[in-house]
Amino acid sequence: MRAAAPARPPLARSLLRLFTVQGSWNYERMQGIGMGVAEQPLIRDLSGNGSAYRAAVARAAHFFNAHPYLCGLAVGATARAEHDGVPPEQVERLRTALCGPLGALGDRLVWAGWLPVTSGLALIGVALGLRLRAVIGFLIVYNIGHVALRWWALRAGWTYGGRVATALREPVLQRATTLSAPAMALVMGAALPLVAQYFTGGFIGWTRAALAAVAAGGFALLWWQRARLTGLRFGLVLLALAALGGWLWR
Amino acid sequence: MSISIEIQLILLAWGTLVGLDLVSVPQMMIARPIVAGPIAGAILGDVATGLQLGVLFELFQYDILPVGAVRYPEYGPATIAAVSAAHAATGTLGLGLGAVVGLITAIAGGASLQAVRRLNTRAVHRAAAALEAGDPRVLERLHVAGILRDAARAALVTAIGLTLAQLARGSLVGTVSFRGVVLLNVAAVGAALAAGTAGTLRLVGRGPGLRWFAAGLVGGAAVAWLR
Repeated sequence: MRAAAPARPPLARSLLRLFTVQGSWNYERMQGIGMGVAEQPLIRDLSGNGSAYRAAVARAAHFFNAHPYLCGLAVGATARAEHDGVPPEQVERLRTALCGPLGALGDRLVWAGWLPVTSGLALIGVALGLRLRAVIGFLIVYNIGHVALRWWALRAGWTYGGRVATALREPVLQRATTLSAPAMALVMGAALPLVAQYFTGGFIGWTRAALAAVAAGGFALLWWQRARLTGLRFGLVLLALAALGGWLWR
Repeated sequence: MSISIEIQLILLAWGTLVGLDLVSVPQMMIARPIVAGPIAGAILGDVATGLQLGVLFELFQYDILPVGAVRYPEYGPATIAAVSAAHAATGTLGLGLGAVVGLITAIAGGASLQAVRRLNTRAVHRAAAALEAGDPRVLERLHVAGILRDAARAALVTAIGLTLAQLARGSLVGTVSFRGVVLLNVAAVGAALAAGTAGTLRLVGRGPGLRWFAAGLVGGAAVAWLR
């Protein structure tokens, strides 16, 4: 049921709840429960003796799966659509339609972009001797981007409502997506040799040659068997072999 | 070197926060080994070991991309347990020991995530009627219960890791030969470098990103050589 969208929606309360959006992640509705909880403050004032509110809450808690930082876009857009009197089936379709794009965009922008860029810079910082300053710098810089993205997503969703696709075409977002992949590749490429040097400081003589051989051979094996072998399994097998070797070669 | 019960409890609390951060609240990346490790090191008064193991497990972390419902090991509490184990032996001597404890804890953490998700699914299934009726109180209760379940899971994984660290310290330190320690360290660092490089290259792919990666590699190598 239609109820005029509030001039000052409680976006901050919704944002705080969005930080917990994956708290009840499950295989049936995935992020659905968290989405419902985050949308509640924005739809609480829907009219209809509580029936419109309850119906909107039920819809908000249905299946949803996207990148957690961009869930706010769907929360804002569907809450606005509920206020604008968009038919329930259309609200459901809007949510479903947003899952794929928000998941893909977030994975490219954050998991494969912003996160490896900033953590790679932290690795470089530690390797160059910045110690805890590099770690604190990583937390601050990463979370400036993190919180800004969550806030932008929620505001854009609320502003655009059913026309939320427009928000995904914003030039800043397009540019960030384009730049994230090369930036990640450049930073991670620079981090690896510096990290290797950071570790080799603790090895002398033949152990350095052994380390280079293990790293190169391990990389070749992990690359060749990438469908079957994970870094964790490889690490455990190698450590077991090393323990056996150490026991035999006293 | 023994660790007091007070310090163990602080590590347990830190591990719980780190475990919660991975998926539930607030995903501000304290769950990354590069953060979890050094802070655990600071709690133990051994930042250097925390940094080393933080960097080591950060490399392992690049091997996975946490997209969708993919299953992955949990390296946050694992790094804390690793730092606790390695703290017994100063400097690089503890790396191998820490890696053994950390990798085993990471497997336990990954498995526990699946268990909590299954418990959440059961709870949601049981409350399906109330959810379809749009009962906001049931919705909030389910959500809070999910977060509490994850907190309990994170605490349990950290406790398992810290116990493993204690056992490793008690049974291995002093009994492993010098050559054995060196071999464990070579295996730990070699595997981490291999996993980090392979994971990064999978992320970079074969497209234009590969040229940027190569440029970064040359730049990083030049800086390393000049230092």
